[in-house]
Amino acid sequence: MNTPQTATLLIGSAKPIGDSTSEALGGYLMQRLADYGLTGETHHVARAMRSEARTAGLLAAVDRSDLFVLAFPLYVDSLPYLTVQALERIAAHRQAQENARPVRFVAIANCGFPEAHHNDTALAICRQFAAAAGLEWTGGLSMGAGTPFGGKPLEEAGGMARGVIAALDLTATALAKGDTVPDEAVAIMAKPFMPIRGYTLMGGMGWRMEGWRNGVYRQLRARPFANQSD
Amino acid sequence: MNATILNGGLAGDLFVDRLQDLLLAELATAGYQPAAWTLREEKISYCLGCFECWTKTPGLCRIDDAGRLVSASVINSHLVIYLSPVTFGGYSSELKKAVDRSICLLSPFFTHVDGEVHHQRRYDRYPALLGVGILPHRHVEQEQIFSTLISRNAINMHSPQHASVVVTRDLDEPALQAVLRPALSVQEAIHP
Ligand SMILES: Cc1cc2nc3c(=O)[nH]c(=O)nc-3n(C[C@H](O)[C@H](O)[C@H](O)COP(=O)(O)O)c2cc1C
Repeated sequence: MNTPQTATLLIGSAKPIGDSTSEALGGYLMQRLADYGLTGETHHVARAMRSEARTAGLLAAVDRSDLFVLAFPLYVDSLPYLTVQALERIAAHRQAQENARPVRFVAIANCGFPEAHHNDTALAICRQFAAAAGLEWTGGLSMGAGTPFGGKPLEEAGGMARGVIAALDLTATALAKGDTVPDEAVAIMAKPFMPIRGYTLMGGMGWRMEGWRNGVYRQLRARPFANQSD
Repeated sequence: MNATILNGGLAGDLFVDRLQDLLLAELATAGYQPAAWTLREEKISYCLGCFECWTKTPGLCRIDDAGRLVSASVINSHLVIYLSPVTFGGYSSELKKAVDRSICLLSPFFTHVDGEVHHQRRYDRYPALLGVGILPHRHVEQEQIFSTLISRNAINMHSPQHASVVVTRDLDEPALQAVLRPALSVQEAIHP
């Protein structure tokens, strides 16, 4: 099996550049792949889908890569709108080519709930996409409790990022050799970095504090659409 | 009883529109007041992932476009139908743009459902959910993923009932009716 030389990362979060957990995860993997000599480029989905020219840039980047990395947030149990749109375009583009270059594909999902298995359906969708687009599926990584990781590089996230970093290190080593995502990396990535009860307690406090800061603490349970039809 | 169809057909997909018309007729016969959103014709911006619909304007997305109207229509329905080409097992991008914008219908606070973390309700009542997927031909894996996705969405959205069917594009009108009619009874258990 040939070792990959080039990689393209698509960040499937539409948050501003530098803000998303997907960028922290995908960006870290790209750095580690660079340590193994891979050259890479990064596309943000909101930019890539903003104009035909930019979408064409993404399609061309996937075509010339040996490895396509998709890092995305879970939105309502599946991939976000713009990410689905990007995948629709990539699949159609590759299906239209007679001899599309072989490209490997790895997906990294993160979700807000602490249990990583919420991402299972989204990763199953990624796998079907790979088949439809003629990409070689190398595996998917799934992380729960992802929300707190947004906005900074993983190396600056402290102890909570230890497992994630270990999982991505293992993944980079395997992918750089042309192997698939190791089971050990999948297992480490899916392990919650803190007890679920603690995470939901802190999360609830976080929403309250944010509501208080925004002056809507007492309206957090508002029902603006209630009884419009009754 | 209100019913809302979210039509996720991509541009030029006349089969999805025919199916929408069929569903509208079936729903009217079944006593619903049905409404349909042909999402590709609506200006609905993508969810920014900012969570301001939870923490700044609770229950309302900060983007003032048709996404807000679709969410209002959903929560005021007894039955919501996700009508979509099955796309790698999931929903089309057109359907997904509206579904992503619906998290304003939930509370940010957590609860447990069957041992899993989910969000609490914001509203007292949520609609039943029916998924109608469309494939060019049978694809067991993608049909399974589509059905799982509807079930997972139903848990997240506190839907009291849910069901899903996948139809293939070669079916004629009587065959489609035969599949859709029993599926529409998903809601009968709660609102006979
Ligand atoms: C519209 C929307 C839908 C979401 N749906 C889910 C969901 O179904 N399950 C879940 O665990 N988290 C869900 N989340 C939470 C995100 O997956 C989580 O915050 C993630 O860390 C965001 O990643 P990002 O920073 O890369 O965008 C949702 C967030 C948004 C904005």
